[in-house]
Amino acid sequence: MNPFQYTRSLAAAGAIQSVLKEPHAHFLAGGTNLIDLIKMGVVTPERLVDINPLPLKGIEKTATGLRLGALATNSEVADHPLVLQGYPLLSLAINAGASPQLRNMATVGGNMMQRTRCNYFFDTAMPCNKRSPGSGCGALEGINRMHAIFGASPACIAVNPSDMNVAMVALDAVVHVKGPKGERKIPFADFHRLPGDHPEKDNTLERGELIMAVDLPAPAFSQHVAYLKIRDRTSYAFALVSVAAALKMDGNMITDARLAMGGVAHKPWRLHAAETFLKGKTPGDDTFKQAAQIAMQGAKAYRYNQFKLTMAPNAILQALKTASA
Amino acid sequence: MSTKPGKDPEKPEKEPAGEGLLSGTRRDFLKQSSLLSAIAFAPATVVKAAENQWPEKVADAFEKVDVHLEVNGTKYNVQVEPRTTLLDLLREQLNFTGTKKGCDRGQCGACTVHVNGVRINSCLSLAVTNEGKKITTIEGLANGDQLHPMQEAFIKHDGFQCGYCTSGQIMSAVALVKEGRTQSREQISEFMSGNICRCGAYSRIVKAIQEVKTNQS
Amino acid sequence: MKQDKIGDPLDRVDGRLKVTGGAKYSGEYKVPGLTYGVLVPATITNGTVTAMDTRAALRAPGVLAVITPFNAPPVPGYQPGAAKPVKGLKLFNDNQVHFNGQPIALVVAETFERATYAATLIKTTYQPQPFETDFHKNFDKGVVPNEGKYKDYVRGEADAYKNAPVVVEQDYMLPSEMHNPMELHVTTAFWDGDDKVTLYTKSQGVVGSQRAISTAFGLDPANVQIHSRFVGGAFGSSLRTWPHEVAAVQAAKLVKRPVKLTLTREQMFTLVGYRPLTIQRIGLGASTDGKLVGITHESHSQTAVYEEFTENAVNVSRFLYASPNANTRYKVVPLNVGVPAPMRGPGEATGSFALESALDELSYKLGIDPIELRLRNYTYTDPERNLPWSSKYLKECYQQGAERIGWDKRSAQPGTQRDGEWLIGYGIGCGAFGAYRSKTSAKIKLLPDGTVNIQSATSDIGPGTATSMTLIAADTLGIPADKITFQLGDSSYPIAPTQGGSQTVSSVGSAVHDACVALKQKLNTLAGLSPDTTAPIDYAGILTKHNLPMLELTQDSQAGDDAKNYSMYSFSAHFAQVYVHPLTGQVRVKKLVAVVDGGKIVNLKTASSQMIGGAVGGIGMVLTEEAVFDDHFGRYVNGNFADYHVPVNADIPDIEAIFIDKPDPIINPVGTKGLGEISLIGVAAAVANAVYNASGKRIRELPITPDKILMA
Repeated sequence: MNPFQYTRSLAAAGAIQSVLKEPHAHFLAGGTNLIDLIKMGVVTPERLVDINPLPLKGIEKTATGLRLGALATNSEVADHPLVLQGYPLLSLAINAGASPQLRNMATVGGNMMQRTRCNYFFDTAMPCNKRSPGSGCGALEGINRMHAIFGASPACIAVNPSDMNVAMVALDAVVHVKGPKGERKIPFADFHRLPGDHPEKDNTLERGELIMAVDLPAPAFSQHVAYLKIRDRTSYAFALVSVAAALKMDGNMITDARLAMGGVAHKPWRLHAAETFLKGKTPGDDTFKQAAQIAMQGAKAYRYNQFKLTMAPNAILQALKTASA
Repeated sequence: MSTKPGKDPEKPEKEPAGEGLLSGTRRDFLKQSSLLSAIAFAPATVVKAAENQWPEKVADAFEKVDVHLEVNGTKYNVQVEPRTTLLDLLREQLNFTGTKKGCDRGQCGACTVHVNGVRINSCLSLAVTNEGKKITTIEGLANGDQLHPMQEAFIKHDGFQCGYCTSGQIMSAVALVKEGRTQSREQISEFMSGNICRCGAYSRIVKAIQEVKTNQS
Repeated sequence: MKQDKIGDPLDRVDGRLKVTGGAKYSGEYKVPGLTYGVLVPATITNGTVTAMDTRAALRAPGVLAVITPFNAPPVPGYQPGAAKPVKGLKLFNDNQVHFNGQPIALVVAETFERATYAATLIKTTYQPQPFETDFHKNFDKGVVPNEGKYKDYVRGEADAYKNAPVVVEQDYMLPSEMHNPMELHVTTAFWDGDDKVTLYTKSQGVVGSQRAISTAFGLDPANVQIHSRFVGGAFGSSLRTWPHEVAAVQAAKLVKRPVKLTLTREQMFTLVGYRPLTIQRIGLGASTDGKLVGITHESHSQTAVYEEFTENAVNVSRFLYASPNANTRYKVVPLNVGVPAPMRGPGEATGSFALESALDELSYKLGIDPIELRLRNYTYTDPERNLPWSSKYLKECYQQGAERIGWDKRSAQPGTQRDGEWLIGYGIGCGAFGAYRSKTSAKIKLLPDGTVNIQSATSDIGPGTATSMTLIAADTLGIPADKITFQLGDSSYPIAPTQGGSQTVSSVGSAVHDACVALKQKLNTLAGLSPDTTAPIDYAGILTKHNLPMLELTQDSQAGDDAKNYSMYSFSAHFAQVYVHPLTGQVRVKKLVAVVDGGKIVNLKTASSQMIGGAVGGIGMVLTEEAVFDDHFGRYVNGNFADYHVPVNADIPDIEAIFIDKPDPIINPVGTKGLGEISLIGVAAAVANAVYNASGKRIRELPITPDKILMA
């Protein structure tokens, strides 16, 4: 790791000011991704601003739902009774990611901020527009088995690696951020962005903005949920494809549906058209297959990830089967 | 400075001479830097040239910070560079070598310790962020000569071979039982999957955990 | 008093040290004045280093030295005309780069952090050359290795399978697999004057390390002290002394302080060997009643341009089954990659996957049960060497394994058994590995308190060597195990072979056995009895009576000429029950039974662990492991533990290890044949065959990941 300075922050405003002061200052939360990136030379900070002492760990009921403090750890969220009860999909998704130890360190905000696992991004000896804008995309003509099938650009075909994000986007979470210009809310679906010409930007945060909390709306999908993650080993691996599925049922009719995918795009990939299609339908393989087909519209694969065009719709079908069972 | 050497089954040796030079302030360091050059023995082309032209910013960054933490019940006041991980502090400075480095990137679990009772990967935790925290390593698990039941169970069920992942496995397993993640074999396996064992002792580790869990209830 | 016997399930004698963190591995010795070495890897794949700007690194705080090809102090064994030239890569000896990741500099600093950072400050200028890393593109450039034993083998007629009534001809591919022991490769080296050096290094053979370092530096071997008491796994990656170990010694000499050089996990993908990417073609020809009439086995595998690596990939097809005609061809393809190294069950595991998969395919073509097909082609003598087996209980392995896995529940028709959404299948895979024994020596010492200490320069990379040796000594001497200490991992002890090729218990166990017998004989003589008296005697009492402070002897042990008249192998039959999800492509091994004829089992507990561990390695080979290379850049794209998938706990079911446990009458006094390799050989085929039985999908390119199931 390059040498850097360290500031322990006790208040959000101070932390934000500390980061704004220096071009290469970063917030440090759980560190599970940032410290790794510094070790690999992908990030070379001059200062880390430790926000762990900030009072942002709470998980609290609000008038409209549940507020997750940005510093609540992944484990605290996944195991929280209110989450298990009202948002089991979130719990399932979080527990499908990383390992127990990492989930004990990683935070809600940090998980949202984690960078792609694309190996061209992590290896400073290879080109990557995300790490080093203008250097090219090594994955485009390289080993792109893990890469995007939706929303990619010629500049970047990396995917967002988070499982938590997939559930969050499906559940219509809202992100609260605080920055030099004050506070604002960002719908979760708008928090992460597609690479376009600026893959170096993972999200829509502005410099110095700090995630304070994530709000979940009132529980609406607490029963018929599934999180399916297909990966190269049974646990502790990133997704080839993952699917978050949540259904609201009235007898044998789907009255509302939420579907999102991980491992397929630069952001957690919400499947609105498939959701709309499912509303008013009776659960069944044919219905689910059609939904999956709708969800796959616009998918584009590269040399080594052609399989995702088969795996993704299969995973949607399987997740819907499990959720409706 | 009240740094204590870690519990070492072997006689602790003298601190390396060079280490003392590196603590202290930047100004001290700059002085020592030329001292180091002076005591260098090797051909000049290989060994660092004397230098004292440090940019202020870089030199600042090398300054060490104080950290107070407790390891296995003993309080330590140590000075570390901000970039030093908890793992390297434990292994290289405090001599708690029971905690292992297998990947240094949070990808294997060999470095698992408890911080305030919670299992984490010490390789991804900066030492400075552990200010005021209580760390438990494998060396702190036994009660004197009395092994922790998980340690006993690992021996009985042969839950290891080379032994290198074992500290992390045991620290994880102790936490797992506390977390209540022992409802089924599947649950134990899943929640022990953050600890890689290349020798392949997994099924035996599961048996050791099951035994501890059974004896507890 | 309980008498510990060979075959007992004895707890590991070093278990307590391992569960308390007290076991010290090579990077954990607190040496006064310790410094830290960090390697700088090349980022081109072929060419030369034309310049290196090390000024910033040398200016960085705490940096003591930067060794580059332009200033490296010469290593005597690297020089032309050296009495014993060092083989393989000679780090910093010239400016040539043969593969991406090859170290081109070594930074030594006061702390790990400072060395690591300074290593990033070196600016290197290269003259790159075109490179070849693409195995498939270069397949036709395969050459027959220089070593004679790899020349083509023909028994009867070559390629006779082609004319048989029933033919299977298929290609099977194994990707590069990394040993990835949990412990990072590490060497701590320090000099005492100019002619004596001590190393704490990760080594499977301290005698070999001693020889290599003394050769490199032109030292008297007696002046090279190697310590490697605890080794955090190796699986073949520490069979040899690697260039970075030499570099650590070189650096320690330069800075005149101890240097600890630890590889990163990423560096372990390029610098300490791997199981090479291999494509094998199997041709099987059979009569309609399932008698093999021809076996052809060809293999191409990768090697480095700067050093040739070979292994026994095709040999198994010469002797495992009876066939009048058999022929093998073996070629290596030199590429701009790091050199491979034997990895657990080395070529034999590779070869077994291909042969046993093809045999499975043949069984479906013939409509004959896979076990029955193996029985119809069973060999009672070694058809390759025309010798009797020293012992062979493979039939018993088939039978016991079939019983334990529930083979009778297997459907002959693939894809017909379900449990809910999952398809169920069963598979068998077999293997053989040579049973070896090397000359070994052990020193035994009896003390007046009745305790016995034994020393031999063997290693323990995990199997529990000290525990097995203790048990052999306890049984032979007739005293309890807790009265015995066995020491290893120190080059000053009497010689022992490197821990590899499954020969430790056979070799060292024989020396321990023979040393114990010699001690007993001496004591019997002292007691005035005939030397070979078997009646119990009071060891300590005899010492006291003769006023002896101790009794010590060193015993050599090696195989007799008789061994040449037999063909000696361990045999295994692995059985798997797997679940395959047709929609998601997920494969779960639900049950695995490993049956082995490994001769006499010394310690039931550690031997079972070893079998289970080998099976886990085999599950990794077949389902999850693959080092993925980008041929545009010549670099691995998954050179880390997150993306190179070693199996995790959730991948592994309860595994049953079954031993035939019959002593081999020829190989050594205890009758052991070895387990380390055979535990892995055959597992991959068992699982792959079970996947086919479950799903009807034959995956011939490992690993069998979900995408391959879906796209098959």
